[in-house]
Amino acid sequence: MAEASTKTPHCTPRADIGCVDVLPQVRLCGVSKRFGRVLASDDISLSIMPGRIKALLGENGAGKSTLMSMLAGRFRPDAGHIEVAGAVVDFDSPRQAIAAGIGMVYQHFMLVENMSVAENVLLGQEGGFALNPARMRATVDALSRRFGLGIDARARVGDLSMGERQRVEILKLLYRESKVLIFDEPTAVLTPPEAESLFAALRSMSAQGKAIVFISHKLEEVLSVADEIAILRRGRIEGEFLASEVQSPAELARRMVGRDVVLDIPREPVQPGRVVLDVRGLSGNGLGDVNLSLRQGEILAVVGVAGNGQQQLVETICGLARPEAGTVELLGHVWDEFYKHRDWDGALAWVPEDRAGLATCRTLDLTDNLLLTTREGFTRGVWLDRARARAAARDIVREHNVQPGRIGLQAWQLSGGNLQKFVLGRELSRRPRLLVAEQPTQGLDIPATEAVWQRLLDARKSTGVLLVTGDLSEALALADRVAVLFRGRVLGQFPVTDTAQVERIGALMAGLEGGAL
Amino acid sequence: MSPELIIALLAAAVQAGTPILYATLGEIISEKSGVLNLGVEGVMAFASFAGFFVCLVTGSAWLGFLAGGLSGALLCGLHSLVCQVFLGNQVVSGLALAIFGVGLSTFFGTPFVGQSTEGFAKFALPGLAKLPVLGPILFQQDALVYLCYLMPVAVWLFLERTSLGLRLRAAGEMPAAAAAAGLNPRMLRALGTMAGGFLCGLGGAYISLAHMHLWATGLSGGRGWVAVALVVFAFWRPGRAALGAFLFGGFMAFQLRLQATGTNIPSSLLLMLPYALTILALVAPAVRARAAKGGAGAAPAALGVNIEPEG
Amino acid sequence: MNLTVRKREESLGWGVLVVYLGALALAFGVCALLLTLAGKPGLGGMLILFRGAFGQGYSLLDSLTKAVPIFLCALGVALSFRMQIWNIGAEGQFALGAVGGAWAALTFAGLPGIVLLPLVFLCAMTCGAAWGLIPAVLKLRLGVSEVITSLMLNYIGALLLEFLVFGIWRDPGSFGFPMTAEFSSGAQIARIAPGVLGKLHWGVLACPLAGVAYALFLSRTRLGFELMACGEGERVARYAQLPYGFLVLLVLGLGGALAGLAGSIESSATLGRLQPTMLMGYGYTAIVVAWLARLKPWPIAFTAYLLASFRVGVEVLQLELQVPAAFGSIMEGAILLFVIAGQFFLSYSVSLAHPVVAQAKGARP
Repeated sequence: MAEASTKTPHCTPRADIGCVDVLPQVRLCGVSKRFGRVLASDDISLSIMPGRIKALLGENGAGKSTLMSMLAGRFRPDAGHIEVAGAVVDFDSPRQAIAAGIGMVYQHFMLVENMSVAENVLLGQEGGFALNPARMRATVDALSRRFGLGIDARARVGDLSMGERQRVEILKLLYRESKVLIFDEPTAVLTPPEAESLFAALRSMSAQGKAIVFISHKLEEVLSVADEIAILRRGRIEGEFLASEVQSPAELARRMVGRDVVLDIPREPVQPGRVVLDVRGLSGNGLGDVNLSLRQGEILAVVGVAGNGQQQLVETICGLARPEAGTVELLGHVWDEFYKHRDWDGALAWVPEDRAGLATCRTLDLTDNLLLTTREGFTRGVWLDRARARAAARDIVREHNVQPGRIGLQAWQLSGGNLQKFVLGRELSRRPRLLVAEQPTQGLDIPATEAVWQRLLDARKSTGVLLVTGDLSEALALADRVAVLFRGRVLGQFPVTDTAQVERIGALMAGLEGGAL
Repeated sequence: MSPELIIALLAAAVQAGTPILYATLGEIISEKSGVLNLGVEGVMAFASFAGFFVCLVTGSAWLGFLAGGLSGALLCGLHSLVCQVFLGNQVVSGLALAIFGVGLSTFFGTPFVGQSTEGFAKFALPGLAKLPVLGPILFQQDALVYLCYLMPVAVWLFLERTSLGLRLRAAGEMPAAAAAAGLNPRMLRALGTMAGGFLCGLGGAYISLAHMHLWATGLSGGRGWVAVALVVFAFWRPGRAALGAFLFGGFMAFQLRLQATGTNIPSSLLLMLPYALTILALVAPAVRARAAKGGAGAAPAALGVNIEPEG
Repeated sequence: MNLTVRKREESLGWGVLVVYLGALALAFGVCALLLTLAGKPGLGGMLILFRGAFGQGYSLLDSLTKAVPIFLCALGVALSFRMQIWNIGAEGQFALGAVGGAWAALTFAGLPGIVLLPLVFLCAMTCGAAWGLIPAVLKLRLGVSEVITSLMLNYIGALLLEFLVFGIWRDPGSFGFPMTAEFSSGAQIARIAPGVLGKLHWGVLACPLAGVAYALFLSRTRLGFELMACGEGERVARYAQLPYGFLVLLVLGLGGALAGLAGSIESSATLGRLQPTMLMGYGYTAIVVAWLARLKPWPIAFTAYLLASFRVGVEVLQLELQVPAAFGSIMEGAILLFVIAGQFFLSYSVSLAHPVVAQAKGARP
């Protein structure tokens, strides 16, 4: 291991990985791709073997998705080439990649919600001009049965859970008889039990000779499912290992990030203050009898798989939806009273999940994006004091190290991490006493994640933080208490120090415990 | 009113509804593929002239009808070019097309104003025409009306029971999914727009060739806008489009009859009614959808949203 | 060879001018071609048009006069386009404004101008705003798209005007022509200098006033900022607690008021009475103008003038070559289509991808 780290064997694939006498299903040879000034893939060589699961481990922005998009025919490499079963290919379009047996399950599912499972599976591969719905359903049902996926071909995709949708994506690849199956961050939307059953499916498919590529930034997952691990950093392969060779996950993490990872942020205890949020018996609008209470100085994490009522809970607390039943008290005022004359400053701030489409306006510059939630602070009569807003935006950019630090840039020109730092800075500049942060580090790289976490921990000195997240490790790293949300109900609420309860979180998130089913 | 009069009125209603139905079905195909085409009025106006002109020159009504469709497809090709290749705003491009098309039809049509054409004649469908009541209403019409009866089914079959229809719908619901399935959503959208334009063009040609049998300025008379509104009224379903189009046709026939019989109501007030009805056609389903709390009859998810380049 | 398209990080600078001139040139090319197809001299026709538009002093003044209603309507249209509200009802709001103004002018004919004219304007703006608010209310209460409703109200508005001048408001002394009696002098807007400045009237002053107010409103006021932010969609509006519904009412109401004002200026200054011929499609031209000018106030002023002069040019073309007036719509439609296509190059850059893949193939290990 130590030897490998000094040699940085990024150019040639390791000969001892995979069986030398078996032809790789796919081989990448010195592939590079540049987007503007960013070199997203830098001279990458990689072999993908049939019957094996290869994990591609890297942070967000390391170039994993670009690499796989080239395999899937979405982009063409600027240099280098791709071989499929020993023959050089040059994909012009996804169609050719599909024909060459390469199938991809994207992180954001490529499914038409308003169509049936059968229609989605056969889209583009209908085999004839006239469609026979009965035959389409029979084909897809048979396939689903054969691989034990348990999906009804007649179901409308929009009605399925995220786990089921993923299985529809897998059905698509199986129907096309893809030989290489690429999964981009497949567990991001799954409950822990769903993830386990996905891993079982991956192993069974690989046992049937499929080559599987598993893209992830989660170490534990990679170690539990992969046969081989390739680490990608800044568009380069930083090393390739057999999973059995890996002794220390910390070493993998170090190589993935390029420095020591301090995701275990020291948390100095803060004395809890007065109650800033009190939710009692909140029901309706997809929620059922939710009880939560949050004090100043505390971080309360609401964990759960997306779509289990988080959005409704947040929208109610943040004033977009009036509580139908039950009471919500914010800073000691009941909901109606609080939102009748709410203050932009010193009250509530909200960092929503969708930072590019909701928290900011893509085509407004940073000053205007600052004004989006703080405009009341820069108003004189009917007029807006832009000069003062510009100064404030500059302060946020400096204080939170937003790169590039030009406030004249439009929101879309910033990377996700920098935009998030700006949004967090803006919301903290409102000096909230209650801060709602939804998935604050989703899609961020590790340094940005660290920065956001540090800010949230600092913030709790003056505020109560409601952290809504699907990332359990984030919840455990930051929160004082955890509440598990499943189908609009809180199934358990306990301090993170209660290790016995913490063990149960996975099962609670899936609704397997806690009396939900 | 005597029964004969009512039957004559309903027969006129079928004829008045026919061009609207062609156009509504065309717009449904276009919107199902994700393209909002507000240019229907311009397309119909131009196609009504193109059809008339070709019929006048060649003497063949069918060639004229075909020319109407092709000119519609051609004009909508412009809309595709602007929106699919140059990523222009669909609302504004559609308006531009409407202005452009209406202008073209008047510009080229002015020298022909007042000329007439044989066009399509009515003929009784053997057997069916003898049915009591329904026979004279539905089956003593021209060939294009009979063809129009088949169109809702044909369009439904195309969208729901062919692979191309499935692909078009995917391009209108989620272009990225279509692209990931190896399809070219822009091409599909262009195809949907032009196929829709073809039908709108047929509707336009119907007005000059089978309804009016002559050329005059402003023949389309706002029917294109009615068609756009009826798509919403029809919840994007061909069957409901037929209902809407013939209801509307009935109304227009009734209004014409009222004008012809010389009531005391000023003509400008009567002429307002179709436009007011169009607004009503939009309001009525909205009221119902509100009562039913959404769900059915939703627009294609990516309607009016352009496909941005990657990277 | 492979084209790659990327979103532009920096603005195009002077390239904008190139794009616009190119689009205009192509549109003129198409127009010339169509003239040729109609059996008229293509290039010669376009030259006549340009000479008519810009050739003489009086055509410049005529254009300026025509630009007044176009500019006012375009400001109103741009206001709602800013927040992606597709108000295409300026023509109807213009008509209703004229009707409202005419009502005041005919009812209070005896009042002196200093009282009557403001009253005329007030009535016109109220009527225009009310007409604009109909689609706004339908949109907010029922979710009905404003595109078709505002357009249908154009037809209804025009017919309402017709109904009035054919009926109860018809001037008995008009020999059957559909028009009202001439407004009293108190309800008319005077020409600035009849001998020197042609038809140019004092109503032109409304333009700088409205233009400056529009610019200040958008760039300096909080409500203007909220309006621009709303342009990003209803979701952002909800998050940032922007008064979306109020702003929809505001833009359609103000847009209607501006178009209504334009309508009453047109009837009070240019015609001196209400008659259906005043509906010349200024409301539609305004949409073209607003979009060409990318909704910015100064470009709107310039573009309004430009398209007004094309209208003057088409009138000359009509006289000299017997070209139908519809040629004007063709020209506006073509210009708009080409400019929309051209605006692509303002937001995106296109480059040729290097075909390096071919070289690398030879270097296989």
